[in-house]
Amino acid sequence: MRRFLLARLAQAGVVAVVVGTLCFVLMRVLPGDAAMRIAAGRYGPDAAIAEAAEKVRQELGLDQPWPVQFLEWLGNLLRFDLGHSLVTGAPVIEELKVQLGASLWLAAAALLLSLLIGPAVGIVSGLRPNGWADRLGLAGSVTLRALPPFVLGLILMLVFSIWLGWLPPAGFGSWRELILPSLTLALGLAAVSSRVTREAIATVAKAPYFAFARHKGLPEAVVVRRHGLRNAAIPVVSYLGLQAIYLVEGVVVVETIFAYPGIGHALVHAIVERDIPMVQGTALAMGLIFVAVTAGVDAASAWLDPRLRRAQ
Amino acid sequence: MNAPARIHELSIAGLSIHSRTGPIVRDISLSLRPGQPLTLLGESGSGKSLVAQAVMGTLPPELTASGAIRLDGVDLISSSPDERRERWGRAISLLPQEPWLALDPTMRIGPQVAEVHRFVRRQAAPQSSALARTNLTEVGLGHAGALYPFQMSGGMCQRAAIAIAHAGGSGLLIADEPTKGLDADLRDRIVARLKQEVDAGRLLLTITHDISVARALGGTVGVMLEGRLVDYGSAEQVLTAPSHPYSQALLNADPQTWVGSAPAPSGDVVLGGRGLAKRFDNYALFEDIDIEVRAGEILSVVGPSGCGKTTLGNILLGLVEPDAGTVERRKGISRLRFQKLYQDPPAAFPPHQAIRKGLRDLVKLHRGRWEEVEALLERLRLQNGLLDRLPGQISGGELQRFAILRALLLDPVFLFADEATSRLDPVSQKEVVDVLLEVVGETGLGVLLVTHDHALAEKISTRTVRLARRDT
Repeated sequence: MRRFLLARLAQAGVVAVVVGTLCFVLMRVLPGDAAMRIAAGRYGPDAAIAEAAEKVRQELGLDQPWPVQFLEWLGNLLRFDLGHSLVTGAPVIEELKVQLGASLWLAAAALLLSLLIGPAVGIVSGLRPNGWADRLGLAGSVTLRALPPFVLGLILMLVFSIWLGWLPPAGFGSWRELILPSLTLALGLAAVSSRVTREAIATVAKAPYFAFARHKGLPEAVVVRRHGLRNAAIPVVSYLGLQAIYLVEGVVVVETIFAYPGIGHALVHAIVERDIPMVQGTALAMGLIFVAVTAGVDAASAWLDPRLRRAQ
Repeated sequence: MNAPARIHELSIAGLSIHSRTGPIVRDISLSLRPGQPLTLLGESGSGKSLVAQAVMGTLPPELTASGAIRLDGVDLISSSPDERRERWGRAISLLPQEPWLALDPTMRIGPQVAEVHRFVRRQAAPQSSALARTNLTEVGLGHAGALYPFQMSGGMCQRAAIAIAHAGGSGLLIADEPTKGLDADLRDRIVARLKQEVDAGRLLLTITHDISVARALGGTVGVMLEGRLVDYGSAEQVLTAPSHPYSQALLNADPQTWVGSAPAPSGDVVLGGRGLAKRFDNYALFEDIDIEVRAGEILSVVGPSGCGKTTLGNILLGLVEPDAGTVERRKGISRLRFQKLYQDPPAAFPPHQAIRKGLRDLVKLHRGRWEEVEALLERLRLQNGLLDRLPGQISGGELQRFAILRALLLDPVFLFADEATSRLDPVSQKEVVDVLLEVVGETGLGVLLVTHDHALAEKISTRTVRLARRDT
């Protein structure tokens, strides 16, 4: 257990440095004058923009050679100081707290919804492979996964906000604003997790231990509950880790569409305004969430599958 | 021990099993009484497992059975699926093939036994656990309730399956290849355990291709060939003076009856190891082993499962690094000419590729000629038509001969045969071994044969190395 935690901590450190460096390099090679963009972000584009940009450049040390800027940033990172937003001037960590919190709510709601939909559809499909439920599930899964999140989001908005008028099309505040963006994400997640579950269930149903459980005389419900679900859950849970990637990708797009003030929304704005500390902080937070999710998934897999516990 | 539900007779009369294309089991009649175990012998595909499945009621839906199977007068063939299922675990228990695959890998063994009491015999949870402990103690696994199947040996898994049968209290045991994949020592212990079941009053139907199992169990023996029961009678009679030529062939294929035919070395050392040692975790497999294989000889390594035989062979091939010691291959010979023959032929071929394609690619890769393949086909007595089938569509013996062919295409000087015949039925094993002996005689190939079959090693090897299982 201690070795597990230490390894994960080391992993988090490596992720932090790699993500930070990548962001730094990418932001430097983007075309356009960063000082100019920041000035525009702060004061709006007016006639005195060139002057304002010059001030910004000196104030933020953007005229320093980039190795100096990089080392300074890295030093700050080691002191857990993410710096201040170049645009709003507020500490990055404060901005992250607000936005990350909102995003975590969204991601959690999406994950929960997808877990309600995906595995349920998958179990029904997998218990009778190639039955009508399986075919319907496959068709639905292909359709939903083929739609990019922004198209799916727009369709849901069109149906539930514009035509039916049941839910607000955008915004933030109550659970009602949370439904459409989280459903957009959840359908994309469930599209794949239902198929993974279906495969897992179908494999388990063909396994010798599943047949033997029946031959022992156990009733069918007991066979599925005691010998089916746990074994089938092993690949599904490991797949959840991969879905975190989809969630990050999805959060950025979906938050922008639904004007939801989360970390993805913040990231897009920060990139446009060249708010480098914000970009780095946001990406860093996402990277660390990744590490945490993977660690959680690994721990859950080890709990489900005793063979992994021995391997560790 | 739960007193088994008394069953006085299982009788099968005129059993035939049909697929859409025609009958695959024809007109089987036999009967089974307490104290008289019945063993069905035959190669894979002879229909012996189908007979067991018909009794159990687990025939695949595309097959239909006709005739009569009566368990104390009740006809099993005409039962509804629900009635069949009602008998599972209660009247009839199946001892599965390869029980290490039939036990749930994620559940401790105790609960796997206890759930029979809990959900089949409707006992309270604490009571079920206590009864399960008793069942496990009966088979000598009293200490093992907290283990997972992957922490147990093959023999322990098989005994756990027997404990599960005890828990259900069923009166008929069907043992489907109960010794498949077990070494001789474990096999004898499982057979002894099965005899105890017979003594306890259970009916026992055993399906096997291992003649020594049939011999040890005694009782009645039936021999199946191509869906028919070609020989049927008491064990002494069938196993000493069989009436059918196939039964005779089966007996002749038993390595114990072979005439010794060990090849003499025809050349120098092709490969040798000095002072080899290997540990896994804190467990020393072997230490300080010197071994060498000369051209034209078969060197056998024998020993129980888990003693490191396969690891030793892999070290010699360079697939595994030894912890200590050195391996020397004869200088100036390509690494490709040191080849390996695997235990499970289907696992050594890509399942969705016709055999011809794989061989053709191999010939192309090494700039050989297809004529070499054709010459080898003839030498290994393989039909040309088999080339266009998938690995799953030909018998294990044929596939293993294709594996030999594949290795011979690279003109090997050394072949590591890792339990290369242990999954084949005796007749196929004999064919593969004969072919191997011919090749060794003709080409001067040096063979390292790893096996748990002492009789086989004794008959065909020039020299034998024994490894013992070491305790931690």
